[in-house]
Amino acid sequence: MSLSLDIARVIANARLTDEQKARIQALHYRDAGHGYDAFGMHPDVVALGEAILGPLYDGYFRVVSKGHENIPGDGPAIIAGNHSGALPADAAMTWLDVLRHSQPPRVARAVADHFVPMLPLLGTLFARGGMVGGSRGNARTLLEAGDLLLIFPEGVPGIAKHFRDRYRLQDWRVGHVELAIRHSAPVVPLGIVGPEEQMPQVGRIPVALMGAPFIPITLTPLPLPVRYHMRYGAPIRTDLDYRPEHADDPGAVREAAARVKAAVQGLLEEGLREREGIFA
Amino acid sequence: MSGVLVTGADAPIGERLVRTLLDDKRVSHVLAVGARPLEQALPFTNDRRLTYLSVDLRRERRVREMLFGPARDLGVRTVLHTAMGRGAGEEGKGVHLWNVEATRDLLALCERHPTVKTFVLRSYAEVYQVQADLPVLIGEDHPLNLSPNAPQYVRDRVEADLHACVRMGLSPLRIVVLRCAEVLAPGTGSQLFDYLESPICFRPMGYDPMLNLMSVNDLVEALGLAAHAGEQGVFNVPGADTLPLSLCIQKWGRPAIPVPGAWMTPLYRWRRQLRGHDFSYGMNRRRFHYSGVLDGRRARDVLGYVPSHPIDWPVSG
Repeated sequence: MSLSLDIARVIANARLTDEQKARIQALHYRDAGHGYDAFGMHPDVVALGEAILGPLYDGYFRVVSKGHENIPGDGPAIIAGNHSGALPADAAMTWLDVLRHSQPPRVARAVADHFVPMLPLLGTLFARGGMVGGSRGNARTLLEAGDLLLIFPEGVPGIAKHFRDRYRLQDWRVGHVELAIRHSAPVVPLGIVGPEEQMPQVGRIPVALMGAPFIPITLTPLPLPVRYHMRYGAPIRTDLDYRPEHADDPGAVREAAARVKAAVQGLLEEGLREREGIFA
Repeated sequence: MSGVLVTGADAPIGERLVRTLLDDKRVSHVLAVGARPLEQALPFTNDRRLTYLSVDLRRERRVREMLFGPARDLGVRTVLHTAMGRGAGEEGKGVHLWNVEATRDLLALCERHPTVKTFVLRSYAEVYQVQADLPVLIGEDHPLNLSPNAPQYVRDRVEADLHACVRMGLSPLRIVVLRCAEVLAPGTGSQLFDYLESPICFRPMGYDPMLNLMSVNDLVEALGLAAHAGEQGVFNVPGADTLPLSLCIQKWGRPAIPVPGAWMTPLYRWRRQLRGHDFSYGMNRRRFHYSGVLDGRRARDVLGYVPSHPIDWPVSG
């Protein structure tokens, strides 16, 4: 086995509890023959991801999450949430939250923008943790195989939103519901309160760097230790409310996307009402 | 299946294919066609069900004489076309004649042949485009590499493949195109095999894409199944080994040295010029960055092909 996986295993062994290790062991994934799935995910790197992100989840962002019972235990499903924060810490924390709290344990296959697989080191590391590039074909294959996808319909404009636009959902793309309808997959809305204030963004330099479309100008060089409040809402049953052929009906797709957007907005408003402060 | 004609029979894959067909009692006769003379071609010629002919496939008249002479007399019903230039460095009109025009002529002649009913083309995974914004799992409808800047090695394969595809439905033949994963074996034209022959392997720093590789045995099995099956169409034929590039290098017993991507082209150009190797980094640059794995579900469902012969890696574990 490779040196990097040996290192991953040593770190994970040292950092994870027995219960966490058992959950990693119980993960269902499709080994393509050498311990990796066809997309490059490897359970040892998933364990490493938990070991590295755990302190950020528990100690830095102090994540509080609710509604895990809404994450389906099996079968195809899509988690759709708001995206923000200049750096994709919200995606990382959601990935870990799903890993820790889904029953049975599942890896949320984050669907990233096309430039992410082009990033050296990070593209490979994220793929080992289950991320896939944002092509329709990748999402289709995973849903057909019964996987759980994590999609941020706001995309890069969401993570790049100006501080004054915090908690206002940006242009809400419809691809996630199109996929959900076509593959009879429920959509679990997710509202994440916290990351929209972690790195107040006041501008951007429109220079593409290593595939990323711009360089953000933020008030802080690193994310602030805001507290994350995550809420998973009741699944929107696109599998019951629509037939697969509705995926080709722009009206039905727009309507379903609007339902998901309204659900996420509702979860955000609930979370904002209930929290006692940005850091509390 | 009665008589079978195999082109490229003097190459390692063709040779193994001929052996396998001779073991198949459903095959009445194997007409093996290669470029080399008999004494330099197949090491086994004493089987009465085997006929070897040295034919230059670039010469249409020679091909016609072979098809409408011995092939007709032997009742050849299936043509397994595996002959194609193997070197990435081979370029020019003569290579194009061999790779594309020979396929075109052979197919056209088979269409008006009295006994041939099935034409199987061994195509290549290299016909597909691999890039960051395309799916990792490559289905038969995945975009092809139609770039005019692609090397002739790729352009010829795409052209031959597309020509066979275009004739499906128009031709009286049952045409099967097998887009096969790279065979990691000597003498097969494998770019990766040549790459792994170095005592050390450089790879682009920060990237470790997933590859799919196959053994000669799996390829031969897929060709045999395509010859027997009643369906026509395009099929991806993956191998049993899906693994990252770094693990591939490690299992070959080579140290991998990550270097900045910009160094790769000059390093491997020098290697090519100084040591006469065939590996071209330019041709493999994208798949050394981004994953591309053949999706073999259609071949499994229609042909019954399931890769079952992993590569015999020099380093186990």
